[in-house]
Amino acid sequence: MDLSLLPQALISGVLAAGLYALVSVGLALAIGVIGIVNFAHGEFFMVGAFFAYQLFVSFGFDPLLSILFVAPALFLIGALLYQTTIRFVLKAPELNQMLLTFGIGIILQNLALSIWGGDPRSIGAVPYRAIGIQLGNVSIGLVPLGSFVISVILVGGLYYMLARTPLGRAMRAVAQNRIGAGLVGLEVNRVYLIAFALSALLAGIGGVMIAVIQSPTPTVGLGFTLKAFAIVVLAGLGNIRGIVTASLLVAVSESLVATLLPNGDSLRNAVFFAIIFATLVYRSWRKL
Amino acid sequence: MKKLLAVLLAAVVGLGLAQEQVTIGILSPLTGGAAGTGLAQRAGFELALAEINAAGGVLGQPLRIIIEDDRADPATSVAAFEKLMTEDGVEFIAGGFASGATLALVESFRTFQPVVSWIGGAASGIGNDDFDGIEELLGPEEWFFHIHPWDYQNVQATFGFVQDIGVQSVAVLHENGAFGTPGAAGLEIGLEALGIDVVLREAFQSTLTGGTGDFRASLSKVGGTGADMLYWIGYDSDAQPLTSQVRELNVTPQHIFGAPPGWPADFGAAPEAQCVTGLIGYLPNLPNPEAVTFASAYTAMHGTAPDNYMAALAYAQLWSFADAINAAGTTDQAAVIEQMQTMSFRSPMGDWRFSPSTQGLHQGFGADMWLVFQYQNGVREIVWPGERATAPLIACR
Repeated sequence: MDLSLLPQALISGVLAAGLYALVSVGLALAIGVIGIVNFAHGEFFMVGAFFAYQLFVSFGFDPLLSILFVAPALFLIGALLYQTTIRFVLKAPELNQMLLTFGIGIILQNLALSIWGGDPRSIGAVPYRAIGIQLGNVSIGLVPLGSFVISVILVGGLYYMLARTPLGRAMRAVAQNRIGAGLVGLEVNRVYLIAFALSALLAGIGGVMIAVIQSPTPTVGLGFTLKAFAIVVLAGLGNIRGIVTASLLVAVSESLVATLLPNGDSLRNAVFFAIIFATLVYRSWRKL
Repeated sequence: MKKLLAVLLAAVVGLGLAQEQVTIGILSPLTGGAAGTGLAQRAGFELALAEINAAGGVLGQPLRIIIEDDRADPATSVAAFEKLMTEDGVEFIAGGFASGATLALVESFRTFQPVVSWIGGAASGIGNDDFDGIEELLGPEEWFFHIHPWDYQNVQATFGFVQDIGVQSVAVLHENGAFGTPGAAGLEIGLEALGIDVVLREAFQSTLTGGTGDFRASLSKVGGTGADMLYWIGYDSDAQPLTSQVRELNVTPQHIFGAPPGWPADFGAAPEAQCVTGLIGYLPNLPNPEAVTFASAYTAMHGTAPDNYMAALAYAQLWSFADAINAAGTTDQAAVIEQMQTMSFRSPMGDWRFSPSTQGLHQGFGADMWLVFQYQNGVREIVWPGERATAPLIACR
């Protein structure tokens, strides 16, 4: 165990937590407000990555600039999917809801496969991708730092919206009691539509960031979806406020294990499964 | 009555003489994380099929292929193989990619025992006591033919290169599955035998198998070693994040060598690709005439140049089946196997044949298939062996 690597591990973990929070908060929004577990969340993420790639290839857009186009596009896709599919299963058994979103995910994956193929796509000339700011023995990557800042702004904005705006209050009301919110005049279906579309938007922006960091493939969302589920479980299903703390815990734990243990990187998935396991056992024990 | 008997006899003889259409069943990952490789294989098969049928087909009939998507997934592969054997009734199996999926197929192959010509599944198991590999399990079977070099042949090919450029120490990063782990073990043994110090051997979670592309933890360990060369064994989608993070963390060794099955499209245009080296079996800019012919035919059919060497291997594989069955004049398994054992076949890499390997009876390409290329200003230049080099090697720092 080389403790001289500890500062780098902590910095890398904190910076990774930003992206984890961004991807997870969208999933938590869908679960918390609408009450639907969206297995296609990772595919929204993947679509965002491919849109950024396509905007780069077709028009030479810098990926960060492409957020301005990808975000509204994913919002519209989310709204369209909600309007044409999700809203019809809101009262259906949970298994049906999961099967529907799972199916949407497979359709989106195969659409991406037929459009962009299975080869990893690379956004070639991103001049800032490999730049690191050296502070002593620690390197802070410009891309992880940028993605962290953007994630903090977006997650902070979402928290502000939920706490201080009429739409946010409507979302919280609908989340607490769908029927009651409807009885006092809230348009429940409209609130659900906006929440689902926002969830897709946040995943799409996460996808743009990943398009900068790695090569988009139709299955690129898989790894992040698994993390997002772990974080959502750790925060408590539907608890949007707990996402930031849970993201930090998962990302920093992963980074410490990966850096300080031999072959630690291959234990990353074990870390978050262990966290899910420990959380569920702890919660069950507390209820006894 | 005699006339009727004569007509019946003629009909029976005629039926016996008429050859059935030959069908080859193919397993390839057309969807999922390895789809890039599978789609490249399919493109190679399609070109070979068109050429074979234009040249008269197999046993006087057009050759037919059935491609099943195995997703590079063990369970899907077994189901797809059994469907080919039971529903489609094929006698010849081609394709193949992931080692994990191939290992899952071992028992099914043994049950049905068709003639199997297998491109991928490079995990031999040779030199690894903890792991029964594909060469150990299937190599001794009469009916099993393996096309792609084994993992130890992959690493053997790099030894000459590493020695030639004077590398003294190597840090090895490898994906933690059936592809990277035995490959890294063989690499370490081989390098140490050459007197080259392996200063680190570290496993990582590939982006293909659910990793998030954050290699900083593993790379920060490499930084502390001061190795001359970073050698990584992973998948295509690991290339960009890994090489950009090498630069971000300022751990750049003199040489970066990657051993994925393929490289991402457009990766060459990324600044971090500069100076990255790797093995390649086929490149469209190879000078040999077969490579040029293949590249132009492939481009005419598919509209793009063949940038994944799996297309060239698939093309070579289907042609070898067609040539062997035609030479045997029958689909009888023993006759076809005999032809496959003795014949020489065409390929974009030049002529090739099956010969014994460490434990296998029939190995197609060996270490000598490999060339070392280097990304230089967006182009993959061949830098080793010297007699086939298109540009001199450049150092990363």
